Amino acid sequence: MLLFNQLQYSNIMSFRKMKFSIAFFLISLSCHSQELFSLTEPASNRPAGSIGFRIDNSIMDEINSTRINYHLIPEIMVGVSKKITIAANVFFSNRAEVFRKEGGCIYAKYRFLTNDGVQKHFRMAAYGRISFNNSDIHQEEIDLYGHNTGLEMGIIATKLARKVAISSQLSFVKANDNGNNNKFIYGSVNSEAVNYTVSIGKLMLPKEYRAYRQTNINCMVEILNQVNTGSGKYYMDVAPVVQMIFNSQSRVDIGYRKELSSNMIRTAPNGFFIRLEHTFFNVF
Amino acid sequence: MKTIFLFIATAFSVALNAQVTKVNLKASGLTCSMCSNAINKALKTLDFIESVVADIKTYTFEISFKANSTVDFDKIKSKVEGAGFSISGFTAFINFKKVQLKHDESVTIDNKTLLFVNIHEQVLDGIKEIKILNKGFISPKEYRKNNYPYSSPGTYYVII
Repeated sequence: MLLFNQLQYSNIMSFRKMKFSIAFFLISLSCHSQELFSLTEPASNRPAGSIGFRIDNSIMDEINSTRINYHLIPEIMVGVSKKITIAANVFFSNRAEVFRKEGGCIYAKYRFLTNDGVQKHFRMAAYGRISFNNSDIHQEEIDLYGHNTGLEMGIIATKLARKVAISSQLSFVKANDNGNNNKFIYGSVNSEAVNYTVSIGKLMLPKEYRAYRQTNINCMVEILNQVNTGSGKYYMDVAPVVQMIFNSQSRVDIGYRKELSSNMIRTAPNGFFIRLEHTFFNVF
Repeated sequence: MKTIFLFIATAFSVALNAQVTKVNLKASGLTCSMCSNAINKALKTLDFIESVVADIKTYTFEISFKANSTVDFDKIKSKVEGAGFSISGFTAFINFKKVQLKHDESVTIDNKTLLFVNIHEQVLDGIKEIKILNKGFISPKEYRKNNYPYSSPGTYYVII
């Protein structure tokens, strides 16, 4: 009992330390920032006529096991018009012992509010996602980015004020049964959830823009939450990200996603991710 | 407002030999070099544009044009908006050759009709800086202050 209390005490202390360091990092973000977040999308769109390609690698640590879950998600993103972006992903992973294709999703975003000023803006967008997945359902968390079949609808608000960008997403997610006769086993009442996120970022380098070929380095923190509307169970994750932009056209994001608090069954909430992205402008 | 309507109603176009030599535009809604690059690359796709010089620090673009080309201000605007941003300032440098500017007359250059606002009668000669006041060519705040009535495509409210 004493040991348990000590363990609990040390857990609480490390959690507090982590909260403190996150709060410190957030406060240290002063000026210069980007809104090209890694795990969420800003309300802004891709340039009209552009096509972006992204390869998302996630290396997640499976709980109560020595296994590593590797997810590979290639994505194509198209700037259909100044207000509409569409994207399509394919999900691959090694969860089922062998590395295989498990599904895909289609995403669309419509920017409905634009309030631009010099070096600032406030924008809002609505988005939707339809996902398909053939893997077995193994966690209460509803994740339409590589785990569940279902749909998501949400809104995004992004504020860029004097080079500080803060973005928030609020969405409703609904999971259905996965393909290959893999049922959603937690009951239909628990198949719906609300996701909400807060993201903030800072441009670290260059101190002053001189040319497009300068490498930009951004630091970001994203807080990702889900509350199941049926069970009331939740999770709260944090993801610090370092992002490099090369030649004002290519991106590399390296981040770590960490569960801060949760009372729902999750298989592999913690792990690294590396995202590579390149945008071709004026393709059509 | 009433006087502006009257002004349009009595406007009389004068065809003349004048050439747009350069446009300086300031983009708003962005703070990153990737965004500036999107505008830069979008502008360069327009066939009448010779070159674009971008100042990444101030988000301004100096655009020069091919000789004897017809410059389309609306196409420039839609390229900036297509890249995902807005224009907060649009200044055209126009080379006039002794053009008499009268109070109730507009001036037509290629396919563009310029409605001069708050002018006194004068002769325009040499390169003049013309600032466009139409919606989408200045900040929304500035536009609301003036509140000009809708103008047909290719017609621009301008000040010298």
